[in-house]
Amino acid sequence: MKKNILIILLVIIALSLPLFTGTYLLHIFTSIIIFLSLALSWDMMLRTGQLSFGTAGFFGLGAYASVLIVAKLGFNPIMSLLIGAIFSGVIAFGLGFIVLRLREIYFAITTLALTHVFSVIIRNLSDLTGGSSGTQLSNAIFDGDPIKIYYLVLIIGLLVIVLSEVFKRSRIHFAINSIRNDETTAKSSGIDVFKYLLFVFVITSAIQGLVGAVYAQQYAFVNPESTFSLNFLLLPIAMALVGGIYSTNGPIIGALILGLISEYLKLIMPYGHLIVYGVIIVFVVLFLPQGVYKPIKDKFLKSSIVGGDSNAHTKG
Amino acid sequence: MSFSFKNSYKILLLFILFMVVIGIWNPNALLDGLQRGSLYAVIALPLALVLGILGVLNLAHGDFLTVGLYIIYMLNTRFDMDPLVSIVPTVIILAIMGAVIYLLTIKNVIDEGHLSQLLITFGISLILIEGINIIWTSMPRNVYTNYAYAAKEVAGFRFGTYELLYILIAVGVLVGLQLFLKKTRLGQATFAVGQNPKGAKIVGINVNYVYLFVFTLAVAILGVVAGFMLPRTSIFPAVGSPFSLKSFALAAMAGMGNLNGILFAGITLGIGEAAINSIPNYGGWSDIVFFGVLIIVILARSYRGAK
Repeated sequence: MKKNILIILLVIIALSLPLFTGTYLLHIFTSIIIFLSLALSWDMMLRTGQLSFGTAGFFGLGAYASVLIVAKLGFNPIMSLLIGAIFSGVIAFGLGFIVLRLREIYFAITTLALTHVFSVIIRNLSDLTGGSSGTQLSNAIFDGDPIKIYYLVLIIGLLVIVLSEVFKRSRIHFAINSIRNDETTAKSSGIDVFKYLLFVFVITSAIQGLVGAVYAQQYAFVNPESTFSLNFLLLPIAMALVGGIYSTNGPIIGALILGLISEYLKLIMPYGHLIVYGVIIVFVVLFLPQGVYKPIKDKFLKSSIVGGDSNAHTKG
Repeated sequence: MSFSFKNSYKILLLFILFMVVIGIWNPNALLDGLQRGSLYAVIALPLALVLGILGVLNLAHGDFLTVGLYIIYMLNTRFDMDPLVSIVPTVIILAIMGAVIYLLTIKNVIDEGHLSQLLITFGISLILIEGINIIWTSMPRNVYTNYAYAAKEVAGFRFGTYELLYILIAVGVLVGLQLFLKKTRLGQATFAVGQNPKGAKIVGINVNYVYLFVFTLAVAILGVVAGFMLPRTSIFPAVGSPFSLKSFALAAMAGMGNLNGILFAGITLGIGEAAINSIPNYGGWSDIVFFGVLIIVILARSYRGAK
């Protein structure tokens, strides 16, 4: 019960944020939610045991699909977000048949190489994509109104959070966890490993495409350098790691912590503020393999057993 | 780690045929490709060594090269030292840095899964790039030496002499590594650890020391490469990053532990890249060669493994 109240409270705070913050803070929270969604989608793939480095690639594909369809065919920007998501999803579906046979280091490296391949292809199809200088739209989505953009991003963020929880609670999470823990056992228990992997891969890639589309529409601009930037891979990974992987709350907490820290550092350190992300990744891998969320939660539960009990009761 | 002539004579024949065809079609592309390819190969060799012995794919590999380039740049601008002379201090600095970074970070995850290893080298790569960004900013920098652009003309065909050095360096480093692995005691121990770490431990080899040594050696070799690279490249914080993945592409193409194969793979891909680069209007597609080949090779191996 306590937990539900907390969630409702947080959602209300998120919804009413534009009432009491300025444009600058709203902008920061918009980008935090964008990275939060990417972090969650990366984590959702990781829960199957597959380390994907393709986040930036599908992000970029969605961004390009959305911007080009508005620029060339005159689609409605909101409609184009959906197209961005579908485009990334379809590409992931096609590639999934090939790359999902790979495991561990090979899957990670192949997805990273695919990101490079996407950006090279897009840079060279200059008639369609504008080449290395990119494509610019005449108008940002909602004419660049920060409050409307914030709500749009918030809706997508909530959608991703709900989806991640569905993945954690529905029957599918048994399949996902067992694939991660021991694939051979999963297979011999009758789980169609490939089917589940493909399903998760397509869903997470579509999320990344959707987020990319929103990001591109917000700035009304795509270019191979910035749209396929490895930041869209590194920052979400760092966020998920800091908060704690294999959970929904972890990446959310990580995104808030790192988003605010890096925004602050950007002000005092114009060059190289991203070094914090590197330090945090190394530090977390070495000393906090579970992230910050789980240790805090465990401590909290130990100190107030009543809270833990009532939680268990409502669940049962 | 052997390259038996008997089994691969077909590949060798194809390799020579490929060079001849490109050479007839476009001699400039052949020469350019040879130089690029040797550079790729000499950078990939240390990565393959670490991958083969430690089993760690070092995603910060290319960024250690960047650090080396900046150290040489600094020695050149501050103390007016020639890039080729400053290789000596650079190798020492890089070796110390590599050893310290290994002891502080990678040593602790060496027994853990690939996820931790990949992530930690990813983090190190980010720290190196951004550290350089803080110290030197992202402005591109150059060093001028008059010998770097020397050229010779043979039978009406003009080519730069300096870049031919790359081929010598690549062959030199390869031969040096092979001699080390076959002839010295430490090299044989390294070889044994690469084949079977548990067995090596049982027969009394200090595995941790071998790991430390191999990682340090790999980073130190990059100092040599950096010295020869700097006169011809303009440097910026991310200049080395693409080499990490390209080196892995070569290591994957040659097959684990096949050091000689890396030289051939490097030259083949280098020539392929140079050939595409020389086609007017389609030069931009040359970037796809490495990643395309990387994906195809990984997939081909996985399919063969599945059967």
